[in-house]
Amino acid sequence: MEVSAPSNVSLREFGCEQSLLSRPDGSASFVQGDTSVMAGVYGPAEVKVSKEIYDRATLEVLVQPKVGLPSVRERSQEQCVRETCEEALLLTLHPRSSLTLVLQVLHDDGSLLSCCLNAACMALMDAGLPMSCLFCGVTCAISAYGQIITDPTSAQEKESRALMTFAIDSKERKVMMSSTKGSFSVHELQQCVAVSQRASERIFQFYRDSVRRRYSKSL
Amino acid sequence: MAAGFKTAEPLEYHMSFLKENCRPDGRELSEFRTTTLNIGSISTADGSALVKLGSTTVICGIKAELANPTVEAPGKGYIVPNVDLPPLCSSRFRPGPPGEQAQASSQFIADVIESSEIIKPEDLCIDRGKLCWVLYCDIMCLDYDGNILDACIIALLAALKNTRLPKVTVNKATCKPEIDLKERHELPVHKHPVGTSFCIFQDSILIVDPTADEESLSTSRLSVVTDEEERLCSLHKPGGTSLSAEKLQTCINRATARQREIQKLIEKVLNSVKAAQ
Amino acid sequence: MKETPLSACERDFILKAIEEKKRLDGRQTYDYRKIKISFGTDYGCCFVDLGQTRVMAQVSCELVAPKESRPNEGIMFFNIELSPLASPAFEQGRQSELSVKLNRQLERCLRNSKCIDTESLCVVSGEKVWQIRVDVHMLNNDGNLMDASSIAAIAALCHFRRPDVAVQGEEVTVYSPEERDPIPLSIYHMPISVSFSFFQQGTYLLVDPCEREERVMDGLLMIAMNKHREICSIQSSGGIMLLKEQVMRCSKIASVKVSEITELISKALMNDKTARKAGGRCGFAESMPQERITALKVDETPVETADVTEKASSIIKEAEAPPPTAPSPVVPVPGVGQVGLGLQNTWGVEEEEELEEFSSGDDVEEVTKMEEDERKNTKGDVVEISDSEEEEVVILHPEKPQKAENVKSSFHQKGAPSSKKKTKQKP
Repeated sequence: MEVSAPSNVSLREFGCEQSLLSRPDGSASFVQGDTSVMAGVYGPAEVKVSKEIYDRATLEVLVQPKVGLPSVRERSQEQCVRETCEEALLLTLHPRSSLTLVLQVLHDDGSLLSCCLNAACMALMDAGLPMSCLFCGVTCAISAYGQIITDPTSAQEKESRALMTFAIDSKERKVMMSSTKGSFSVHELQQCVAVSQRASERIFQFYRDSVRRRYSKSL
Repeated sequence: MAAGFKTAEPLEYHMSFLKENCRPDGRELSEFRTTTLNIGSISTADGSALVKLGSTTVICGIKAELANPTVEAPGKGYIVPNVDLPPLCSSRFRPGPPGEQAQASSQFIADVIESSEIIKPEDLCIDRGKLCWVLYCDIMCLDYDGNILDACIIALLAALKNTRLPKVTVNKATCKPEIDLKERHELPVHKHPVGTSFCIFQDSILIVDPTADEESLSTSRLSVVTDEEERLCSLHKPGGTSLSAEKLQTCINRATARQREIQKLIEKVLNSVKAAQ
Repeated sequence: MKETPLSACERDFILKAIEEKKRLDGRQTYDYRKIKISFGTDYGCCFVDLGQTRVMAQVSCELVAPKESRPNEGIMFFNIELSPLASPAFEQGRQSELSVKLNRQLERCLRNSKCIDTESLCVVSGEKVWQIRVDVHMLNNDGNLMDASSIAAIAALCHFRRPDVAVQGEEVTVYSPEERDPIPLSIYHMPISVSFSFFQQGTYLLVDPCEREERVMDGLLMIAMNKHREICSIQSSGGIMLLKEQVMRCSKIASVKVSEITELISKALMNDKTARKAGGRCGFAESMPQERITALKVDETPVETADVTEKASSIIKEAEAPPPTAPSPVVPVPGVGQVGLGLQNTWGVEEEEELEEFSSGDDVEEVTKMEEDERKNTKGDVVEISDSEEEEVVILHPEKPQKAENVKSSFHQKGAPSSKKKTKQKP
């Protein structure tokens, strides 16, 4: 089954607040529709000897679910976020130190992983850590009728036959991370990648606007 | 000399090979290691397979148990995959509870099973709401030399194809299940997903089927799982260096070729087993 | 990560200020910091801000079998998570002294005070009851986590609605919120914890200590009380001796604070109820302050997807198509197959062979004959891996055929190393 040309593709309203927590060195809460994630970054700080890496900083990512203790699902999300951040961050500038990124899920209404990625990026920016590029997460769902839905709600996620989350970098709009569920054709995949790249423009523009707004009153 | 160079500057050592479009073990960049498959390796299991990918060795045993279906899904059985990376297979793993890689691999395998619909959970139901099969797919790595995900998927697929479940009837009078061990039937395997893993070196060089050394030196990993209808079941890239859509397409095409190769292998081996019986 | 230690002069400064009846944030001795209570999108989710201290509580429920000793009662479960988000000193998954202390206090405050009607949570006596789980997550630690947690937990419990159930014979049906309106828990009273910190061996007393003050305090007294001025739990820690009058005075202060806080919670609950009734959006997304310079929000935005299909097609077209045929695999003996180009992994076949043996037990004769060829082959192969050494050792073993036969008969000698032998065919 071929997918029809994507028609009503949109991102839910999204927003972010930075520096909202006093303890972490950088914090942000990112909201996409009803989905919201709070992120906090600590570091660069002292590292445990067992985790020390001689030529770069050790990054730890923790995803805290809303109910219960972290399970295997959170572990795989942690892995995805961590490796994406590791690529974006210039970790070699802080050898033998530790960075901790904690993501607390506040509400899950679909596109959770992409919201985690966006919150992580905003928190890293807030912490003022040197990065080689920014990244954002976009989730695409393919509905039972073959339509592409970006930034789906959990109801849309449940009805979809495939779900893909990509992390897109700000330099060349390439795919940094990809995590999929369900089966789909190659053509559908390439379409979703292209749609995500387009959607990422919106999110990067948002990043730019929020930074501009934030520093508009300084000096 | 070469050994010293390899120890002192592992990345340089690998790069000097990759520059010449070959790899330290003599392979080309898009070449898999020899894949060896043995089906029915464990006689006590309901289904089993052993896979070797170069020296990476993975064994999969399937144990079927009777259980009650969950309240949410009364007409479905379930499949519980578990990937074990014991200290036996490499010095990098420590004894104790499963580490991050083992957990991530288990989750990946569970996702592939769900996404590909390799087995329909409805097929595992015996009596709606009362009785169903649970398939425990225990995958254990015996020798770790990189790319366990691919090896795990082949082992799982071959083991599932090898699985023969006994016939179960529910006695109407006592409501107890009766198992007929003599009469066994095959499990309907709907799809044949096969994984192909890649590593990216220095932001641009793509290699297939990485060894453990290559995995640890690379900047990114990517696993593509395809089935026989050329549909993708998973495109798993946990992060790292970014890839363009064009590069992704190259990977997918390589994965499609690999899928055909492995499906053929599994079928041929299965036929040989049947012929020998 | 370790907590940054408090320097001696900071410590002295804080203590000196307390002696002069001054606090770092300009509060009076008995003042609470500003309390803000907001609710999340789902039922049973509550955020509490106590100054900079932030906590989130989420209530969830599940049908479980009851405890044998109490077959007619539902189960309450409390869990305070000291998430590393709140403070670098908190570690994930480790039970620290503080987390045990907080969990105990919350249990005493909410479970042992019997503020929730657990009998109404019974569905089928002795078989199915509701387990109500309260997860309290610390988001930012700026002192007095206990009070913030107790407010969040009780407010979340008041806000929570459990799905309706119907029992027909043995069948239990759980209705979704669309089918039947979910039911609130029946709560008798609302115990709220109030913390007092003591300095200089009890000479000075402060309500609602912030993080700095907690670090220099000598002792802590936590009183949980409801608005009817009934004490639900009282606990002193830190090893200070308190006079009866001191405790009495604290309980008086607590009763004032508790009635204030209870009022606040009821107001917040009312506000949320009217907002929900009005059908407006509620929850965390709405509570984001718009006026702050650090916050930004954009409305739903469309994404242009005009040439997406073309782009996807062109990428697929341009890529090199996969070969239509696949190489044929080699099946040396039944049950074993190999596929791969060039490089033969001889080590692998041995192992296969061994395992193969007890599944089908095949022609060993034929296999051993091929060994001669095999030896030549491997010598020719320049394989630059350490395996090749081992390979040779095994090949040169003289008495393989017999041993192999032995294995075949005795079935279980999987580990016998000398039984290793070679199969190798060139396609």
